[in-house]
Amino acid sequence: MKATSEEVQTRVKKLFEDGSIGHFIGYETGSDSLRVTPCFLKSGQAASRLVWNPLCANNLSKYLLDFKNVEGKVGIMVKGCDSRSVVELLKENQIDRDKVFIVGVPCSGIVDREKLLEVLGVSPGEVVAVEDDGDAFVVTLKEGKQRVDKEKALRGECLVCKYPTPVVYDVLLGEAVSSLPWVGDDYSLIKEQEALSSEEKALYWNRELSQCIRCYACRNICPVCTCSECIFDKKAPRWITKANDVSENLVYHLVRAFHVAGKCIDCGECERACPMNIPLRSLNKKVEKDLLELFDYTAGIDVEQQPPLTTYKAGDLDDFL
Amino acid sequence: MQDNKEVKTEFKPKILAFCCNWCAYAGADLAGVSRFQMPTDVRVIRVMCSGRVPPELIIRALANGLDGVMILGCHPGECHYSEGNYLTRRRAHVLKRLLSYIGIEPDRFQLGWVSAAEGAKFAAVVKETTDKITALGPNRWVDKK
Repeated sequence: MKATSEEVQTRVKKLFEDGSIGHFIGYETGSDSLRVTPCFLKSGQAASRLVWNPLCANNLSKYLLDFKNVEGKVGIMVKGCDSRSVVELLKENQIDRDKVFIVGVPCSGIVDREKLLEVLGVSPGEVVAVEDDGDAFVVTLKEGKQRVDKEKALRGECLVCKYPTPVVYDVLLGEAVSSLPWVGDDYSLIKEQEALSSEEKALYWNRELSQCIRCYACRNICPVCTCSECIFDKKAPRWITKANDVSENLVYHLVRAFHVAGKCIDCGECERACPMNIPLRSLNKKVEKDLLELFDYTAGIDVEQQPPLTTYKAGDLDDFL
Repeated sequence: MQDNKEVKTEFKPKILAFCCNWCAYAGADLAGVSRFQMPTDVRVIRVMCSGRVPPELIIRALANGLDGVMILGCHPGECHYSEGNYLTRRRAHVLKRLLSYIGIEPDRFQLGWVSAAEGAKFAAVVKETTDKITALGPNRWVDKK
């Protein structure tokens, strides 16, 4: 059985009552019925605000950094992908495992708002609720219900998700989901890109990256971007100018892809935050694929595992000059 | 007034080489004193170790308009600081593939091992890289106004 909002609410209330947690980070309904926003609780009284449905896209793990210095434990709700970024935060000693209480919820796909609205051909105001029902989403509209195939309305990262069940948790609500039926070769899109010629690739990325307005939303939302001073904010040396120039955008996106190499767990938050709809996941996914092929490394699984670029083997592949 | 007369000149690439202080830079010195002939398109920057060259520097150099970048260091196992070149080797694998993914030919970024005694190898590496990059032509990612 899937976890329901009520189940989450009662469990969180209980956790507050028996003193296991002093704070809780979860989801609540946002400005319209197709939006869910993060919800921060200090007591069990307001637990009825909490929701859990296929619209809960945010990766809440980054908020744990804001609760580093509070008293008591911080409870947090995590999906499969979010739990992997928690593992990465633990790996980097950004958070203390003893100060976090993880409520895991197995997830069987999150709705892509834009895709869903396009499939339905309605405005957001007409949607009342979205529910998960196996291989489809049941959308309650103002007039009647409609079933939408998941493959048509899922977020990109959910289409290739290999870890629907949290890898780390203190309590798991609902039944574990071992695999998602629509997930096949998770790198098929990357392989398509790789097969293009250098000219085609440069043209494609030139077009995509020239749209970047460098709002840094992708960096700010990224759960594994945890540096207190970011290289792009530094004045000396100044790694990146403020020029509106595609080669500056290139520097930004490549360096960012490199800085999250071995930490990115493909939660897709960068792409969701991007106001220009740049396919940012593609860059990170490419690095992820290479790290898997070269060093047999997958991020966010094991706290003890050494990040691949901070270690080496004498027998590593060497095809250089 | 701008001169519109088109002057056909041969493409001379701009190539940057980060040479480690202990091996490749000494190798370059040796290549010089031994008077090996090699192309003059390579600008050398001396660094203390090939492991000191982060991917940011390579990406920055390519975006700033260089046609190719090299990192030259000690052979694996012979790093002055034990492990610098091993770490740079891992990063180079990932960087090469990432550059190729966005349309920068992987040959524009080279990693090589040149010891202090290998003056001839330094000259050969420089020649090979220069030839490859000359064949590729100018770096198309740069659109500085």
